[in-house]
Amino acid sequence: MSTTVIAVILLSAVGLIAGIAIFIANRILPREDESLQKANDVKEFLPGADCGACGYPGCFAYAQAVAKSVKVLEESPCRILAKDEEGTAQLGDYLGIDLSSTGPGSKALVHCTGDSPTIGSYDGIASCAAAVMVGAGEKECPYACVGYGDCVSVCPANAIVIDPEKRVAQVDWEKCIGCGMCVTACPRGLISLVPAETPQYLGCNYLSKKDVAERKKCSVGCLHCQMCVRASESGEVVWSDERDLPEFSTTPAPDAIEKCPRKIILKTPAYPEATVMAARAAEDASDVTSSG
Amino acid sequence: MSELVAIFFGMALVNNMVLSKFLGLCPFFGVSKKLSSAFSMGIAVLLVMLVASAVTWPLFHYLLVPYGFEFMRTVIFILVIASLVQIIEMTIKRTNMTLYNALGIYLPLITTNCAVLGITFINIDAQYSFIQALTAALGAGAGFTLVLLIMSGIRERLDLADIPRVFRGAPIAFLVAGLLGMAFLAFGGMVR
Repeated sequence: MSTTVIAVILLSAVGLIAGIAIFIANRILPREDESLQKANDVKEFLPGADCGACGYPGCFAYAQAVAKSVKVLEESPCRILAKDEEGTAQLGDYLGIDLSSTGPGSKALVHCTGDSPTIGSYDGIASCAAAVMVGAGEKECPYACVGYGDCVSVCPANAIVIDPEKRVAQVDWEKCIGCGMCVTACPRGLISLVPAETPQYLGCNYLSKKDVAERKKCSVGCLHCQMCVRASESGEVVWSDERDLPEFSTTPAPDAIEKCPRKIILKTPAYPEATVMAARAAEDASDVTSSG
Repeated sequence: MSELVAIFFGMALVNNMVLSKFLGLCPFFGVSKKLSSAFSMGIAVLLVMLVASAVTWPLFHYLLVPYGFEFMRTVIFILVIASLVQIIEMTIKRTNMTLYNALGIYLPLITTNCAVLGITFINIDAQYSFIQALTAALGAGAGFTLVLLIMSGIRERLDLADIPRVFRGAPIAFLVAGLLGMAFLAFGGMVR
C-alpha cells in the first residue's frame, strides 16, 4: 500500500478516535449548569470571533457578563455588534430592552442654558474637571455648565461648541453621532443621550429636592413647580421622583413649553413645528364650530 | 535533576515562548488588559501545554516513528490537541462552575494556539525524554504566565499614565512589548 493511502487512513483513524472520545465524554458527563443557558443564548447574537476587543476573554465570557448585567453592553461595547444594527435590535428583543438609545439613533443634549451670573474668576487649568475640583467654577449655580469645554475636546465629530457669551456647551445635532463620549466627560453630568426624535428637553439639571435657597441662584433654573406636568393633559411630561425633574417622551408637548414659568423647556431640532401648528389650528377650528 | 532545572529555566526565561520565540502573541496582546484574566489565561495555557506534551510525546514516538510517518506530526498533533482541549473544557464546564469561570472560558481560545503546538514540536526536535518533555512544557507555560502577568501589570498602570494621544491603546502596548523583549534578551547568557 502506498504511503499516501496509509497516511489518509492514519489521519482518519486518529480523527475518528478523537471524535468518539468527545462523544463518550459528552454522554458520561452531567448536564450543563442552568445559569449558562442565558449566556449561551446571548452568545448566539455575538459575532463569535473571540477577538477580545471588548476587554473580555472571548465572546462567551462577554455573553456571561451581559447575561449577568445588561450595563456591560454600554460600559464595554462589542464594536463588531455595534455596526450591525439588525443584530443589535435582535439582542435587544431577546433581553427585553431598547438598545437603540446608544449609537447613531441618539443625540446628546446639554441640560443648561448657561444664564447663571458669574461670581468669580478662575485662572487654573482650562478644564471643567479641574475647575469643578477647585470650587464650583465661575458661575453662581452649582449645576451650571462650567464652559471650559471638556466635552468639546472628547467629541470625535466636532459637534460641540462653547457659546462665547454664555459660556455654555451647545450640541450640533447634525454632526452629533450619539457616541456618548461627552456624557462621561462632563464633570457635572449635564449631558445626556436621548433618542434622535426627542422634540424637547429641559435646559436645567438642578436635581436636589426642595432646596429653596439654591433655587434663586439662577434666573432660568427649574422651580420644580411641576407646571409642565399639569399642562400636558395627555401625559407627554411625567415627573421623575428619583431625579426630581420632569421627563419628556418623544411626543411634542407644546402646552408644557408655553406654560413653563422659566421658559426652560427648549425645542430640539427634531421639534415638528409645522405639525404642532396644524394640530393647534385644527383644535381651534373644532372649538369654534362646537361653540357656535 | 540539574538537567531538568536547566530545561525548566531555559524554557521559562531564555527561550521564552512569547518574547524570544514569538509564539502565542495573540493572547499576549488580547488577554493582557487585566491582571486577573491574564493570570487565568496563563494557567490555562500551562495546563494545556502539559496535557498536550503528555499526549503527543507517546503518540509521536510509539505511533508515528515506528511506521515512518514523522511528516504527519503537524496535522495529527493539531487534531489530537484540539479534541483533547475540547474534552477538558467540557469536563470543567459540567463539573465545576467556579473553576470554569476562572479557567475554562480561556480554553477554547487556546485549542490550536501556536505556543501550545510549538512546545510539542520543541519537545521532539530537542529529542527530550518523556520527563524532560513535561518539564519543558511546565517551564514554557510558567514563562508564558510570567510574561503575561508582567505585561498586564504594566498595561493596568498605563491606563492611568498620561500617554500622548497617538500612542494610546495598542501602540504603547507594542512599544512595551518591544522593551520587554529586549529585557528578556539579557537572560540569554544565563543558561546555555
